Amino acid sequence: MTVTSARTPRRPLRGVRAGALGRRAAGAVLLAAVALLSSAGPTWAHVVPSTVLQLDVHSDRVDGDLLVPATDLAAASGLSLVGADGASLPVDADTAGAVVDYLTDHVAVTSDAGDWDVQVTDVAVTTTEQYGTGSFPAVTADVVLTPPAGADVHRFELDYDAVVHQVITADVYVVLRSDDTGAVPAGNLPATLGAVAVDTVTGAIPALQVDLTGNTASGTQAGFRGMVALGVSHIAEGTDHQLFLLTLLLPAPLLAAAARWQGTVPVRLAIRRITGTTLAFTLGHSVTLVLGALGLPVPGRAVEAAIAVSILVAAAHAGRPLFPGREPLVAGLFGLVHGLAFSGTLAELDLSGGELARSLLGFNVGIELVQLAVVVLVLPPLVVLARTPVYRRLRVAGAVLTGVAATGWLLDRLGVDTPLAAAADGLGPASPWLPGLLWVAAVVVVARGRTGAGSSPAATGQDVPLVGSAR
Amino acid sequence: MNSRVSTTSIAASAAVLLSLGLVGCRSDDSSDSSSSSSASASSSGSSTSTPGSGDVVALAEAFVATLDEDQAEALQQDYTFENATNWSNFPNALLTGDFGFPGGGAPSGGPPSGGPPTGGGAGSTGSTGRVGLQTDSLTDQQWSALEDLLAGVTGSAANEGFDEILQHLAADDYLTDNGGGDDYGRGDYFIAFLGEPSDSGTWELQFGGHHLAVANTYVDGALAGATPSFRGIEPFETVEQDGETVQPEQQEQAAFAALLASLSEEQLSTARLSETYGDILLGPGNDWAFPETSEGLVGSELDDEQKALLLAAIATYVGDVDDANAESILAGYESELDDTYVAFSGNSSISEVGDYIRIDGPSVWIEFSLQNGIVLEGAHPHAVWRDKQSDYAGLTS
Repeated sequence: MTVTSARTPRRPLRGVRAGALGRRAAGAVLLAAVALLSSAGPTWAHVVPSTVLQLDVHSDRVDGDLLVPATDLAAASGLSLVGADGASLPVDADTAGAVVDYLTDHVAVTSDAGDWDVQVTDVAVTTTEQYGTGSFPAVTADVVLTPPAGADVHRFELDYDAVVHQVITADVYVVLRSDDTGAVPAGNLPATLGAVAVDTVTGAIPALQVDLTGNTASGTQAGFRGMVALGVSHIAEGTDHQLFLLTLLLPAPLLAAAARWQGTVPVRLAIRRITGTTLAFTLGHSVTLVLGALGLPVPGRAVEAAIAVSILVAAAHAGRPLFPGREPLVAGLFGLVHGLAFSGTLAELDLSGGELARSLLGFNVGIELVQLAVVVLVLPPLVVLARTPVYRRLRVAGAVLTGVAATGWLLDRLGVDTPLAAAADGLGPASPWLPGLLWVAAVVVVARGRTGAGSSPAATGQDVPLVGSAR
Repeated sequence: MNSRVSTTSIAASAAVLLSLGLVGCRSDDSSDSSSSSSASASSSGSSTSTPGSGDVVALAEAFVATLDEDQAEALQQDYTFENATNWSNFPNALLTGDFGFPGGGAPSGGPPSGGPPTGGGAGSTGSTGRVGLQTDSLTDQQWSALEDLLAGVTGSAANEGFDEILQHLAADDYLTDNGGGDDYGRGDYFIAFLGEPSDSGTWELQFGGHHLAVANTYVDGALAGATPSFRGIEPFETVEQDGETVQPEQQEQAAFAALLASLSEEQLSTARLSETYGDILLGPGNDWAFPETSEGLVGSELDDEQKALLLAAIATYVGDVDDANAESILAGYESELDDTYVAFSGNSSISEVGDYIRIDGPSVWIEFSLQNGIVLEGAHPHAVWRDKQSDYAGLTS
């Protein structure tokens, strides 16, 4: 280690660098509070001031801003830093040099590349305050940690025991303040890297392992994957957003005529309708998801009730065509309502900036993935079954049951307790094997068509409506 | 619609509905996420348990009976390690981030309000403060029932146990009146039942606030753990508050000073620790972290008079629990005195900021540390009594 003496000899440091110190102290207070609040576990035992080391990572070195409670430093170093009245004493050049020597002896950094160079400069005194401590005198210093030439600055072991070797109840919070290398996204700063304290069981002072490589792109990707997963789970765990969409899609393969669902439309048109309706729903809920996550107030109860209404409308439409051909418009409008409900989940995370944008995208991707999976899974058998006499009953019964469930939810969300809502919610867990039943039914229908009536249009899936199919 | 819906088509349509349900979203997960901690609430006096030793359960139920539904719900919490270890020496406002800084306002920049910042490291969780029913909601009648309960579980000697708690509450009122403001005072304490009071099974009576933590764990009607027991105090000097003389923790300080004063120079030098102590070692959050190696002067090196002084110092903490239990706990510690260490740092008078003393036995662990005043000038103590076997009645996770 290289020892560098203080740069400001024979001058009362306090007055000269008051401005810089003031700013530094304010930052230290804030960050100390950050460190105290954000470290896991109850560290709030200490109304006693803590040492704070704030690190700035550069491509070739790590700079540190150190703030040490003066009373602790005096106790540990034996230097006269605090007067009898508890206030800090001015630091002359000799004392500053002694502080530099002491700190340099008690800070060591190593990595795979070997020992780092540690320089301590600019020792000064200040008066500051940390969360809950009241005002206290502190010593500040600049630290420069330089790895062997060409070595990575992102992984190192900080062996720091200044103060702690003597003041056994003291602790040192190490905070990452900035990162020029971009390894840690600015949105994640400042970040607590950890704390140095005596292990009361062994009496040892474990070195702090710093590894910033885990916070690089892969970490961001993990965060994105997490948001995708959140979107998936949000939509996959219950029973109502997709029920709306799928009920709306139920008559998609059918032709509306004379205020009834009559016959079927060509498969290609059915697919185009399904795609259009699904896209409109996606567009609608994406818009309000963004607005809600950005802070648009969401009247939770009203939104939930409106969602129940939307399912009721979709169920009615599945029974009799109310708005044939305008399914995308309806899906888009009600999509706005459903998006507000999604946004509640994100708003709880209290995100901002780039993190919010990434999270929104990830969350939405998760929702769309599930939506897509469901459409792909359930629609083919429905299209096949639509060409059979079974479909009419299936559609009507589906509409009725959905309508009943939606009514239950609506009453529940308006404060009227009925067993319907709980029963509808309860369907979720039992359902994973039921799309399989639909597929089986469709296959049976196709097979029966083959063996029975030969190659009927229904069985071969031709884009031709069944003759006389007034279903 | 066709009214002739066959059973087969109902079955088929049910299949459709259920398959739709596969991907639906139970939107009630966003509409109601009430805390799980209220799961076993509203036990208001309906328990069939019979009052056991010390009638603690009966007193607990009598207190519950005075509460309204919301209060009873706040009081009743889950018996978990997380709840049991959620005690602190801090005033509650300091834990929740609402602390108004006494005498001089907040530091420049101010504390970040609300929860922890994003990106603040893995698993960052801010504290939400103590659990349980806050005492500011109590009526006189409810306070009276609470005091009956506390009196039933604490010692009866002057300046110890129940009397100490009453003085403690008055001391915090003194802080309110002398610069501490609304973050202090007897309304900022919390009573919680972790688990339902019963003479079968396990529950903990938790009472605490600034500088105070009572943690009595009962297993099948018997006291199975009386620690961690935190006692600190500010003001440390004798004051008058609402006509009451307030001087808790002074007996403790006097007992430690008397013990160290009885030691020879040689014994003192063996007992002296080379390190500096700014606070106690095993405060809140530092659970089951007893040092592997005991330091200082071992009890077998003490003469009978010195041993009596050591036991007397221990008794100032053990005496905070009800007299019958205190007697048996103290007898256990007495039997281990030869293997119990005394260590101190700073002045042997244990009177100045930085002075520290520890009693470290096979079971007993007591620390007493003097530090700077927060609201008032002068030194004030933090102290903890823990038990290496029966902290939290042995609950470790």
